Amino acid sequence: MKEQDYIEQLIGANLDALNDAEPADGHFERFELKLQQQKQGKVFRLQSVLKVAAAVVFVLLAVNQARIYLLPEKPQQFTLANVSPEYREVEFYYTNAINSGINDWKSLVDAGLVSEEEQQAMKNELKDFEQRFQNLQAELSANPNDERVINAMLEYYQAKLSVITMIVTKLQEAKRQNNTKHEIEI
Amino acid sequence: MKNIFRPVQHLLPGFRLSNRNQNQLETSYQNIHQELIDRCRQGDRKAQFQLYKVYYKSMYSVCLRIVGNEAEAEDAMQEAFLNAFRKIDSYRGEVSFGAWLKKIVVNRSLDCLKKRRVKFEEVTERSAGVEEDNRQPEVIDVNVIKRAIQSLPDGYRVVLSLHLIEGYDHEEISQILQISNSASRTQYMRAKNKLKEILKKEQIYSYN
Repeated sequence: MKEQDYIEQLIGANLDALNDAEPADGHFERFELKLQQQKQGKVFRLQSVLKVAAAVVFVLLAVNQARIYLLPEKPQQFTLANVSPEYREVEFYYTNAINSGINDWKSLVDAGLVSEEEQQAMKNELKDFEQRFQNLQAELSANPNDERVINAMLEYYQAKLSVITMIVTKLQEAKRQNNTKHEIEI
Repeated sequence: MKNIFRPVQHLLPGFRLSNRNQNQLETSYQNIHQELIDRCRQGDRKAQFQLYKVYYKSMYSVCLRIVGNEAEAEDAMQEAFLNAFRKIDSYRGEVSFGAWLKKIVVNRSLDCLKKRRVKFEEVTERSAGVEEDNRQPEVIDVNVIKRAIQSLPDGYRVVLSLHLIEGYDHEEISQILQISNSASRTQYMRAKNKLKEILKKEQIYSYN
């Protein structure tokens, strides 16, 4: 171990006294003031954050309200399914049957068995049905328990299915007759 | 072997080593002001003020020795306390609270010096004259010693304080002050010689 020299011994002997310096008078008060300012600064920062957060929440709410108020209301899809589970099944049956009929129609169109005029006529018919469906939907959403509206909706599905089935059946029949005629000619 | 606890033993009023296994000494500090420290963690201003009262003398002494100016030292010390309270959650109790606080105080004081653009110039070993003096220290008034330390040039005073009083080794000082290890040693030797010279003069004056 290295021997301590004069200065090292001198400092070592006076270490406690060397660490006993007293700052100028009033340092307690000055420090207390700094502590207070630090605390206020912290509170101020917290308040600022809360203010910003409140402003952001307010803006989001205002934007949301404006969106609800200004954007056109999306029409509610109210159908027979909303009335009762039984009607949901009925509606499911009709929509499936109608979709199946329309698919058959599309295959006949693809097979070239439907003229342009007939296609246009069918298009107009479907458009007319769609218009009636929207009217009925509006009626049903306004009067969900009105038997007359429910019956009208059922009649609509029946009518649409009948028309599509009739057209498809006629076209398929024509297709069969064409095939038979062609076979006889051969 | 170097006494690793020396830096904290002499200046930390709120510190004692626990009586556990000697091998655990480095990590088993118990702060006798633990309750105050805990309250400070919760932002209790009264506790912060009380803790200031416990440590201000030793911390102010450290600051004063480094910055060499009373007003600046007080400001640096108080800022260091505020900084310590702000980041008190990072104090994990691996060292005594006083040692942790002192590190902040030293850094803050060195920042003050940096603002004043104090340069800790590199000194070559050759230029450093080292005088060996193994006299026994006479009784000198501590205020004379304090004044003598304060009158040292910045570079000498800081290295001498950090090594001889705060207990930093030359490797640590070289990293803190960004000088070489040998420059730190040389500054230290020169500082001691200069201090000896000043004290000699002071004693001659006091005798006359």
